Parts: sequence; structure tokens; C-alpha cells
Amino acid sequence: MGIITISREFGSGGENIARFVAEKTGFLLVNKDTIARGLTQYGIEKPLPDPENQIGKEQDSHFEQQYIEAIHDFIYDLAIRNNLVILGRGGSILFRDYPPALHVRIIAQFTRRVQRVMKAYNLASETAVKLVKEQDRDKSRYYRQVFDVNWNNLRLYDLLLSTDKMEFEDAADLVINAYRIHAEPREVKDGPGVGEIEERAVIPPADAEADQFMHPSEEEFAHMLDFYRIRWQYEPRTFFLEWDSEGNVVEAFSPDFYLPDQDLFIELTTQKPRQAWKKNRKIRRMKELYPHINVRLIDKRGFESLLKKHSIDQDEKEGEES
Amino acid sequence: MREKMPYEEDQLKILFTPEQIEEKISELGKIISDHYAGRELIMIGVLRGSTYFLIDLTRKMHIPFAIDFISISHYSEQADSTGVVRITKDLDLNITGKDVLIVEGIVDTGLSLGYLLRNLKTRNPASLKVCTLLNVEARRIVDVPVEYKGFDIANIFVVGYGLDYNERYRNLQFIAEFNRPK
Repeated sequence: MGIITISREFGSGGENIARFVAEKTGFLLVNKDTIARGLTQYGIEKPLPDPENQIGKEQDSHFEQQYIEAIHDFIYDLAIRNNLVILGRGGSILFRDYPPALHVRIIAQFTRRVQRVMKAYNLASETAVKLVKEQDRDKSRYYRQVFDVNWNNLRLYDLLLSTDKMEFEDAADLVINAYRIHAEPREVKDGPGVGEIEERAVIPPADAEADQFMHPSEEEFAHMLDFYRIRWQYEPRTFFLEWDSEGNVVEAFSPDFYLPDQDLFIELTTQKPRQAWKKNRKIRRMKELYPHINVRLIDKRGFESLLKKHSIDQDEKEGEES
Repeated sequence: MREKMPYEEDQLKILFTPEQIEEKISELGKIISDHYAGRELIMIGVLRGSTYFLIDLTRKMHIPFAIDFISISHYSEQADSTGVVRITKDLDLNITGKDVLIVEGIVDTGLSLGYLLRNLKTRNPASLKVCTLLNVEARRIVDVPVEYKGFDIANIFVVGYGLDYNERYRNLQFIAEFNRPK
């Protein structure tokens, strides 16, 4: 995976440069639209018009926090499979520990930026001044709130480019050349080196009696299968989902249960739907790669409806299947 | 669509009206009668959710049949988590060599129905099929063959027309989505 992150002052032309870089390198451009689209696919809706601009302004920030986490997971997941040009979103921090990544900051003089904004958005000078200041303040706030770093700390970046006297396309060419010089000697050979592999390959227990459930809900589910006399195995198999360019497995998935009589794998999730998108993604990926394998996700709601009568109390009893 | 009722009315959202239910059951009654014409049909109601459905279904049928009931224990109703499913009320009729139709109010996980099917199969009926008024495919864990079904519904909790919450709401003439009180 190749990573170029571009942070920019508002009106510096960073967006145009990022687009040029993505076009010329064939890297995938990750901007706020890519992210919103990607998260929507996983059923995560944007909480606010633009979190980068809004973050920290709202008192109720719990969901924002989750949304930010989802953004980060999404970017890391994308990076496993793709080369990326990441515009904004704290990319330089997200990939700070990944040596081949090139972190670029695009700047321009304030007056130059105001002129560009006036022209681009057809604004009066006072409005443009206000807008530029506001946008910079929002970016700064985003970095402080989300990463606890100072956005204006230029040590976060490998390359600083001013567009005062430079065409955007030339700036893009400089970025691309800098990336080649910077990244090639630092290519990571043994895995992604960054991003989290949530579920590593699990070695199945040799003896079924020795099953160590990872989660109480899994134990409960096993009891229920026992009750209905349905044979099961706990995490008997690991499916590989992602490989790096060297063929090393970087992502794997071990469904919780296998029901041999049904020839069915079952994954339980007791996470809320908003957090379950990662598992959904894994299951989708598994279905792509192993179309002949039956796998089913039992979500929080389904699981609660299975166990409610038993696990809460008698008042919660329900007689659905009676 | 809301309807006033003596219960916590704001927790119920009507899914199927009495008219819709009756129409569907008439269709099912006709189809089943046609399929089982000239055979020895035993209809088995699974207690307790299927009772209203079974009675109304049989009244829409135009062939002879026998009725029986069966009941099994549920995982959710047991005191501890070490038991196994068992039949709490067995059939009175001998089904060997007969054409058996299991009648359910709702099929969701398929766990209890799967057990019933396995159990009844050992008694060597001539045929063994399932009819359910409601089918919740999204909750299925065990694949069970459902030959006749009234309505497919999403992964929601429903009451009425024989289906209960804490033994309540069975006598509603419609089927409604029920939101549990927090």
C-alpha cells in the first residue's frame, strides 16, 4: 500500500493538487465524499453536514466519536487493499507510524488564499476572509479534538509546499516525485505495518471440551444449541480475507460457530448496528472469496430475541414460538 | 396505522388487519385442501401460538382431516442452561403412515421446529410438512422446510392472533408489531 497524505490550508489549492496526484499515480483519492459514500455502504450515516467542520462544536459528542472511529477504520481498511491519496481527515496522524507514507502540507499566503476563494466561490472579500479564517479554525479544532495535536505543527509533515508561485499541477508533480524518492526505499515487506487486524487467525482448540469462549454470548449460544440438540464446533476454521503484495495474510476471519448438520458458519455480534459494520464487511468479503461457504451473521437484535426470555427475567418472557 | 385497544396502545403497530389475515388463511385453506385431497391428513398445532391460526385454517378447508396438538419446552423458559429440549405434551394420535402437516403461528430461528421435525420423522409419517402463518427468514439459524406460509415479515417482534408477549395480546384479532417497554 502506498500512502500520500495531503493536509492543506483552505484556499491553498490542496484539493486540486490531491486530485492531480491521484490521477497521475492511479492512487485512490480519499476525501470527505469517498468516506461518506463508503460509510453509507456500511449503513453508517453522517451525523452532521461535515464532521471536520463541526466536530467539537456539539455537546453530545458520543456519536461523533464513534463516527470518527468509523472513519479511521474505513481508511485503514481501504489502505490494506489500495494505494491512497488522503486529503485531510488527519491522514498524516493516522499514518504517522507507517514509514513509506509521505505527508504533505500545502500552504499559501493568507491574501493569496482569500483571492482564490473569492474567485472560486464568487464571494466578496469580507466574506472570503471570514470563510478562510473559519475553515482554518475548524481544521485546527478537528486536529485538537480528535488527535490532540496542533494542526500548525509543521513537524507532522515530510514536505511543505507553498502554492504562492506554483501551479497546482507542478505542485502535484513535485509531490509525486517526492513520494517516489521517499517511499521506495522504505517499502514495508512484511505486512501493512499499520492498521489493525482485528481478528487474527485463531488456532482452533484440539479438544472440544476445552472450548474457551471469547464472549459470554457465545457460551450462551452454545448452551442454546445444546438445548435443541444441534451439533456445533467453536471457531473450527479460519478464512483468509486479505493478503499483501508479498502474499502474507493480513486479514483473517474465524466465524464463531460451525453447525456441521446444517453446513453453516455462524458469527454472533452483540454490537450495535453502528459498530457491527466491520463484521458485516468481513462477512461480505468472505462471501465474495468463499461463495460456496454458508455463513450467517446473528446481530444484536436477533441475538436478544433468542435469549431475552432466558437471560433477563421472567417479566421479559415472551412466547413467540410457543 | 393505529387502532385503539385496552392495552398500551402506543406500543402496537398493526401489521395485518383481521381482513388481511382472513383472506390469507382462506387462500392457504384452499391450497392445502387441494394438495391433501384424498389423503389421510393429520394437522398438528404447535402449542400455544398456533391455536387461533389452526382453528381458522381448518374452517377454511374442504377435505376431511384430524387435529392434534404438540408442545415442547423452550430454551428460554428453562430455569438453568443445562437442559435439553423435550416434548411437554405429546400427540394423542399415531401418525405412522399418515400425511402430517405441522401448523405454526410463527417460524423464526427454526430451532424448535427443527427439533419437532426430527422428532416426528422418527415416527415414520407418510409425509411431513410445515405450514406457518408468519415467517421470519432474517432470524433463521436452522434451515427448515416451510411448505405453506402466510406472511413473510422482517426481524421484528409481533403479537396478536395467538402470539403473545408475557401471555398477553393473544386474543387481538390483528397482528401487530410490538415494541417492548424499556
